[in-house]
Amino acid sequence: MVVAVILGIALRGRSEEDGVDSFRRQIDALSSEARKPTVERVKSAERNADDADSSTS
Amino acid sequence: MARDLAIDLGTANTLVYMKGRGIVLNEPSVIALNRQTGEVLATGREAWQMIGRTPGYIVAVRPLRGGAITDFEITERMIRLLLQRVGVSRFTRPKVVICVPSAITEVERRAVTDAARRAGAADANLIEQPMAAAIGADLPIDEPVGNMVIDIGGGTSETAVISLGGIVALEAVRVGSFDIDAAIQNYVRREHGIAIGERTAEEIKVAIGSADPTHGENQAEVRGRDLMTGLPKTVLLTPEEVRFAIEDVISSIVASVIRCLSKAPPELSQDFLVRGMYLVGGGGLLRGLAERIERETQVPVRMSNVPLEAVVLGAGHVIEHYEALKGMFMGARR
Ligand SMILES: Nc1ncnc2c1ncn2[C@@H]1O[C@H](COP(=O)(O)OP(=O)(O)O)[C@@H](O)[C@H]1O
Ligand SMILES: [Mg+2]
Repeated sequence: MVVAVILGIALRGRSEEDGVDSFRRQIDALSSEARKPTVERVKSAERNADDADSSTS
Repeated sequence: MARDLAIDLGTANTLVYMKGRGIVLNEPSVIALNRQTGEVLATGREAWQMIGRTPGYIVAVRPLRGGAITDFEITERMIRLLLQRVGVSRFTRPKVVICVPSAITEVERRAVTDAARRAGAADANLIEQPMAAAIGADLPIDEPVGNMVIDIGGGTSETAVISLGGIVALEAVRVGSFDIDAAIQNYVRREHGIAIGERTAEEIKVAIGSADPTHGENQAEVRGRDLMTGLPKTVLLTPEEVRFAIEDVISSIVASVIRCLSKAPPELSQDFLVRGMYLVGGGGLLRGLAERIERETQVPVRMSNVPLEAVVLGAGHVIEHYEALKGMFMGARR
């Protein structure tokens, strides 16, 4: 009984911290800084496509 | 080796982003089938070229046309072919994130994720198009400020208010740029007595269509079939006529933007006045549309610099940061 209650409290405490952690991680991953590499990858792909276009014409 | 994928399954165009690589596929969401055997004859650009030009036994369709899945089986086959073409098999088993129109039903969502799993995806999750668009358009959605995105596609228009990585308000209507094409087709038939195909109507829209008067407007020569004589015929169409023809579609798109604005909490609402709203999607490229929305809402409208790629870029970003961002999938949020 007692063990179950203590375990319950421990788990609840941990899950609340988990919530804070995962929210922070999510927000960090959405920052402009974090998004830069994804956007850059497309810009460079576009440049390559442009190069390919101009080389064929 | 499995490379995870992000897919923008648009009503008009499908784009695929491969983790670590970038955009690897960009083509019309069209599939051509043999009407008798049900065999797939072509997909993508090749199938698009067949629209309105097929003999009786071939049918070229856009399975997501109206922002709804009208034929589950065809949609599933399109998804399977798409994944095969970018190298997915039962042995590679990548994770896949798919953007679908927000208006689709629970049953339709399940059909899409099931199709991806059956095609070899280890895991398939969905994310709302405007959310992906906001990530891809580089809006500061990690901050507690009001970010507004308007995504006008072929069959749907979706407007969303996003703050702190979550959707605050969303308004999705099954009206989009295809309806502008249809309105032009109807007008030309009614007023000039000639029949034109949907691809011709789309060309007219892109060439001289507008939602608000603009500078340097030209007329267009339109070729079609005379309804009386059955012979090919050319008529002249003015930009005013096109504006008149598409007015109902434009005003229902603007009305949905206004409904979304009115759903936003006041604290975020005042942010829009300073930050503006961001327009993405091919339909947003219509001349004068940004000005028209701006005039009717009194909120500045800015064009994204990646209007056609914003959604797949946003979904691509989610696939690059899968663990951190998996809480953003449809259904993961409470
Ligand atoms: N310059 C343009 N002017 C007006 N409409 C355009 C223009 N470019 C593309 N479109 C229209 O945008 C639509 C496709 O937009 P897209 O964002 O790819 O749609 P979806 O996301 O639904 O697949 C098509 O109906 C196309 O005719
Ligand atoms: Mg789209």
